[in-house]
Amino acid sequence: MKKHTVTKWIILIAMFMITAGICSASELDSFTGEKGVLRISGGTAHIPVMKEASRKIMIFNPGIQITIAGGGSGVGIKQVGEGLVNIGNSGRQATESEVSRYGLVIYKWAIDGVAAVVNTGNPVKQLSGKQLQDIFAGTILNWKALGGEDRGINVYTRDESSGTRAVFWKKALNKGIISGKANFIVSNGAMKSAISNDPYGIGYVSVGYIDKTVHPVRVDNVTPDLDTVKNGEYKVVRGLYSNTRGDASGLTKKFIDYLLSPAGQEIAVQKGFIPVN
Amino acid sequence: MQHREHIAGIIFWGATVLSAGVTLAVLVFMVILSLPIIKNDMILEVLMGPWSPDYGLFGILPMIVGTLCIALLSLVFSFPVSLGCSIFIEIIRPGKPGRFLKKFVRLMTAVPTVIYGFVGVFLLVPHVRGFVSHGSGMCILSASLMLGLVISPTMILFFSQSFARVPKTYLNAVDALGGTQFQKFIYLLFPQAWPGILTGIILAFGRAMGDTLIALMISGNSVMLPTSPLDSARTLTAHIAMIIAADFGSIEFKTIFLCGGILYLLTSFGILLARFSAGKQN
Amino acid sequence: MGKNVWDMLLGFFAWCCAILLAGSMILIIGFLILKGYKAISLELIFANTSPLDALLFKQQVFGGLFPAMVGTFFLILLSMGFALPLGLASGIFLAEYAPGSIKKIFSLCFDILAGVPSIVIGLFGFSITILLHHSFNSQIFPCLLISALSLAFLVLPYIIKTTQVALESIPLLIRLTAPSLGATKLENIFLVLLPASISDITSGIVLAIGRCAEDTAVIMLTGVVAVAGIPKSIFSGFEALPFYIYYIASEYSDQSELMKGYGAAIILLLICSGLFGISHWGKNRLTAKTRFNY
Repeated sequence: MKKHTVTKWIILIAMFMITAGICSASELDSFTGEKGVLRISGGTAHIPVMKEASRKIMIFNPGIQITIAGGGSGVGIKQVGEGLVNIGNSGRQATESEVSRYGLVIYKWAIDGVAAVVNTGNPVKQLSGKQLQDIFAGTILNWKALGGEDRGINVYTRDESSGTRAVFWKKALNKGIISGKANFIVSNGAMKSAISNDPYGIGYVSVGYIDKTVHPVRVDNVTPDLDTVKNGEYKVVRGLYSNTRGDASGLTKKFIDYLLSPAGQEIAVQKGFIPVN
Repeated sequence: MQHREHIAGIIFWGATVLSAGVTLAVLVFMVILSLPIIKNDMILEVLMGPWSPDYGLFGILPMIVGTLCIALLSLVFSFPVSLGCSIFIEIIRPGKPGRFLKKFVRLMTAVPTVIYGFVGVFLLVPHVRGFVSHGSGMCILSASLMLGLVISPTMILFFSQSFARVPKTYLNAVDALGGTQFQKFIYLLFPQAWPGILTGIILAFGRAMGDTLIALMISGNSVMLPTSPLDSARTLTAHIAMIIAADFGSIEFKTIFLCGGILYLLTSFGILLARFSAGKQN
Repeated sequence: MGKNVWDMLLGFFAWCCAILLAGSMILIIGFLILKGYKAISLELIFANTSPLDALLFKQQVFGGLFPAMVGTFFLILLSMGFALPLGLASGIFLAEYAPGSIKKIFSLCFDILAGVPSIVIGLFGFSITILLHHSFNSQIFPCLLISALSLAFLVLPYIIKTTQVALESIPLLIRLTAPSLGATKLENIFLVLLPASISDITSGIVLAIGRCAEDTAVIMLTGVVAVAGIPKSIFSGFEALPFYIYYIASEYSDQSELMKGYGAAIILLLICSGLFGISHWGKNRLTAKTRFNY
């Protein structure tokens, strides 16, 4: 009896692996015979997923070239609207006026959060929502008021084109002011570098980007991480979108389909986001 | 034969006009693309006001002040050092050490500015932050220190050239009268070379105003009007680089052409001034 | 005796400045080399692809510097292709054909162009792109072609000035020889004057190449992107070494990426100082060859 059971399991596992192999191969198969250039720009949070997906595609089919630029969500939307790129990524949902002005079609392929972060060496690791707003507004100026060192708080923020900024401003700061004295940073990656290098800094970054070089701030007793984003405890949540002008077609459509396929979703998970499928 | 000569002449002439045309075209484009601001009577508001797009304020005054502050401070750091180095090259040690320093300075001009910015971020900024009681290290001071290094070769080479141009007969005259090196410098070399020195200063200032990368990477880019060298500030050049990403139609975007126009006018004015002062030494 | 003190002070001041300057530069370069020498390897440039495959363009390189280096190379090639003919012709005109007053006006023009900040030149290139995009072909984007064109505008004044000065400094004796034997103006220029000044012109060209290799502001606005692989055509986006360094400095995700940044910085430094060295050495050797003994 035991021998048969073992054989059954072996056959089952083998079948599973073969099927899985066929499945993952087939997602890239759609790119066979394609040629051309795909231009992507926009949200910086999306870039790690874009890089990995395009790497896989370009290795599979060297006739395709995919160029990726950053710039922020605003850039992605404007550039795809103006026809300068094929896919414009955004970390916030395009507004109604943007959709109607450019005829945008929105594809959501991951869920992410935006969290306030501080340097790993900072003793202050949790704040109330009100304190967070005051820090960014420039009302609280020194870490010692919060139990930290006697040093000025260095606020870091993103430029106006950033979707990450828009979401953080709306949901975490309740549309409060952000001090003009803040240092302006141009991307999620740059924000992470800046905070990890500045022991007295505070900024905000995509939850998917957080690793051991920066520390997420616990706000109102909720720690921002993938679980709290998934179960809704952490409120500052946003989707990762890819926008196209009109319905996607050709190479563009195949790329977006790939993002939404199990292989693409797996990449999103790998890079720290929550899949939609 | 004649025909070929004539055609060649026209080709050369055409090439020159085309090249000169580029100079003009840059200015024209800047002006035309900033026109919407001028037409809407927003020009004063944009030139004099603060920058806060969330509230509809598109003033570039903080950036103009940022540019001027960083350029001026870098000049303050760089001028004495450049003067000292050129004195070293031409007066104190005109032999081998002088020539070596001159070659070294020439080599400095080959170093890309992005390298200065890169090292600035990882070496200078943390030290400034540790040294000073507040701030992130990304401020006018850090940017000016690095920028001072970038513009030094320009000034040193200009100053050296100006000192070298002073006629040997004058120098010999001072020696014959028993003057010391110091007296030679104060009473002869410096006054004689002054127009060239001034030219060098003006050109270096123009160079400092026009630099993008160092300001973008080290000065912090905040939009507030800076009140101290330890404040984070944004320059016109960094502003252009940051805003280029934004919307085409908006007023926000149009302001960068105004920034470009202002930079063009400032540096051109500097060139004219430098030309004028250089003419004086000859 | 009092006078000697002042002399000593002057000398002391000069020495201090020299040491300060040299010391700062050595600190900067030394820091870079110390931090980055470990990163220099074939892997830095070619990542997981075999160098031969990458060089023959058979396989794309991911995570290495190779695409950026290729991008910079093509950029230099294209922009010099635009700037050289235009610059040489203009320089020849200014040195050989232009009457005094016209020469002054054009000279001033080019001095102004040389003084325009690089980002404004980039902005100009960007505006041209928008213009072409809206009025002509909506397939025109910021790309390798536009970047090369803008870089050409950037280095044009240098080439013009170098050519002009080089031609003007040819001794009268040489200048008058061929015409006195019946050569035409054109023949004189191409057969005598240009070869005589070739060393200075070449060194100017090499310096212009160095400028193209190191510039970041212009290409940032006209088509360089973070990830692009080997550019497939002049109308596509591309990567470049200086931009790669800037990009890494602002957003490196881990130590290994930071190390790549240091490595890239060292490589760029080597390329630029190498070009500088070539221009210097080439000047000395060519001058020796074309020296006229008289």
